[in-house]
Amino acid sequence: MREPDPIASARADGRRTLTEAEGKELLASVGIDTPPFSVCEDAEAAVDAAAAIGYPVVVKVASTAVTHKSDWAGGVGVAVGLDSADAVRDAASAIASAAEERGIDADVLVESAMDTERGTEVIVGGLRDPSFGPVVLTGLGGVFTEVFEDTSHRIAPVDHAEARSAVEDLQAIELLRGYRGAEPADVDALAAAIAAVGDLVVEHPIAELDVNPVLARTDGVMALDALVVLEDH
Amino acid sequence: MHNHKLTECANRGRSSRAPAVVTERDTVENALSELWLWLAVTLGELFDPSGVAVVGASKTEGKIGYEAMANAATFDGPVYPVNPSTEGELFGREFVPSVTEIDGEVDLALCCVPGPAVPDVLEECGEAGIGAAVIYASGFAEAGGEGEALQEAAVEVADAYDISLLGPNTSGFIVPSLDLRCSFASGAEKVPEGNIAVVAQSGGVGLVLAFQSRRQGRGVSAEVGLGNRANVGFAEAVEYFDSDEKTDAIVLHIEGTDDGRQLLEACRESETPVVAYKVGQSDVGDFAESHTGALTGDHELYTAGFEQYGTPTVDATDDLLDAAAALGTAPEPDGPNVGVVTAQAGPGIIITDRIQRAGGRLPELTAETQSRVDEILPGITYADNPVDTGRPMPAFGEVVTAVAEDDRIDIVLVYELFEESIGFPIDALEGLASRVDKPVLFATEGIEEDLSAARSKLEAIGVPTFPTPERAADAAGTLARYARLYAEETTVTDGGGDDNGGHDRTVTDVGGDTTGVADDA
Repeated sequence: MREPDPIASARADGRRTLTEAEGKELLASVGIDTPPFSVCEDAEAAVDAAAAIGYPVVVKVASTAVTHKSDWAGGVGVAVGLDSADAVRDAASAIASAAEERGIDADVLVESAMDTERGTEVIVGGLRDPSFGPVVLTGLGGVFTEVFEDTSHRIAPVDHAEARSAVEDLQAIELLRGYRGAEPADVDALAAAIAAVGDLVVEHPIAELDVNPVLARTDGVMALDALVVLEDH
Repeated sequence: MHNHKLTECANRGRSSRAPAVVTERDTVENALSELWLWLAVTLGELFDPSGVAVVGASKTEGKIGYEAMANAATFDGPVYPVNPSTEGELFGREFVPSVTEIDGEVDLALCCVPGPAVPDVLEECGEAGIGAAVIYASGFAEAGGEGEALQEAAVEVADAYDISLLGPNTSGFIVPSLDLRCSFASGAEKVPEGNIAVVAQSGGVGLVLAFQSRRQGRGVSAEVGLGNRANVGFAEAVEYFDSDEKTDAIVLHIEGTDDGRQLLEACRESETPVVAYKVGQSDVGDFAESHTGALTGDHELYTAGFEQYGTPTVDATDDLLDAAAALGTAPEPDGPNVGVVTAQAGPGIIITDRIQRAGGRLPELTAETQSRVDEILPGITYADNPVDTGRPMPAFGEVVTAVAEDDRIDIVLVYELFEESIGFPIDALEGLASRVDKPVLFATEGIEEDLSAARSKLEAIGVPTFPTPERAADAAGTLARYARLYAEETTVTDGGGDDNGGHDRTVTDVGGDTTGVADDA
């Protein structure tokens, strides 16, 4: 089977881990929305990209050498809520110098900032288990993922109803239904994303896949980050 | 609803829910189904053999070759002690030097030889046309290193000759109805016949469950210790006992398997209810990179997988047998709604509290049923669900019947302390479950010697009994979860690929074909 471009290009580079941009392209190819983004080589290009995308933006390190961006280089790997050219330039420069110090190649990814207050952060993941094969995970996402371990699992592939039941199994379902007058999240769109992640693991040589967070909002869901690790050849 | 076995053969080999995306796995699944069909045939040589050879049979008491022969000798088919260095008879059967020299029917070899001798013994079995073997010895894959190589060597020979291997590293199996006791365990001959197939990863746990079922007065259709599962694993065993007419429920004890998905698929395909007990909340896999990997453990996948594939799980050996007694003896429930009738308030309160936690629902009875109960017992203590009659009384059976005939009720649970002057409402309960097509469970307590005969009568008319309110409530809860999972199985369908629709089982008569509810009032 011919692999989709993001997987093929990682393979061509001899990489097991897709870049965030490649991961998001892969998600977009199966209908999971991502914020508009651009990968830039230097700070000035980042400033131009931010202007084109529209403020506020997020700036992140984009390097095949960095997997956990927010833990990298004392926290300069991810800068959120940037609303001016100066702020973008500073954040992009900080990434460039940290990369230089560490002797790695790094670009910066500029992305439209999403208001995470307007929605619930969810994790949708997939992996290939040695005994069960492709499985999907749904859970409360963002910084709370490993604190509360509020997760549910399914054997993939899953249909829409099964994906919905995975969401309904979460304790966080109350948040998604609109806790204390908050607007309810689009659980159907979330279920569609879960089913799509399951299908990705079923159909492609993916060992692990994290979409964390997925921002579940009233009008759909959006993948704010993506980590895709391929199987060994 | 136990006529499902009639349609089973026609359905065999169909994959009931194909993945949403048609992949190469579909072909593989079909091939696996074919393989299972073939195995179901060949496992007949293991669990229903024409004759048995005990290889390494010994006259020395205490040796495995003696104990296995002692148990095997009760089989009413031919049994051959095989040992090249021993002559004469053992338990009235003549020694034979080799399996290749047996003159007569023999399908099954019990290998009471040390591990390193196993591949050669299997080679001889293959030459002799023996299709199944039990390997008791340990020191195979579970020991790692050389043991793994030894197991591979055994499997290679078995594959070459199409031999089904139970074990290695097992206590064997027992089929009481055939007096077939291919186990070296002491007491194997006293495990009574029942309708529950026990399939345990550990031979020790298999025996625990078999002896426990005897203590409970139930018994087994078979007790199987899978051990290392060299080429007979959970999926093959589930498939076989699903087609076994003496088995009405299958219980699984699982520590972990290499192919969890195959196990789940076998459970989903099974027409016979399966209940699973997965032991060990073991660590997560050694995935280093993702949150998903860090948050995904073996136990989560078994629990979620069984639920997804329509198999209820429990967390104790007692619960496993209780659930199987309820699922295997009574008609299968159409929903999770439990109607409780109790002769004493306190146990009834324990039951109602527990059932809701265990997954059941306690709906309000219909107005018709309530007035019917009120007519039977004017001024009754509590005429809604649970119905509390306040004490055992002659009209107790009529009250149970009224609740059982309520359209809102899918499962009936009765609690009554034994009252010698009244006894149990045998006449009312006889045939009730099949008439209303709902499970009717009965829990009681009293002086054991006084009540045991009456309780046996309940069991004899097909009413499963339970010794405590908690265990009855948990069994009802498992029935409720089973009904719910089962309904999901039949209504949830995948995106495409399979024109056969959902699960082979179908939910019939929602609401029940109860009769005369209003007329009798």
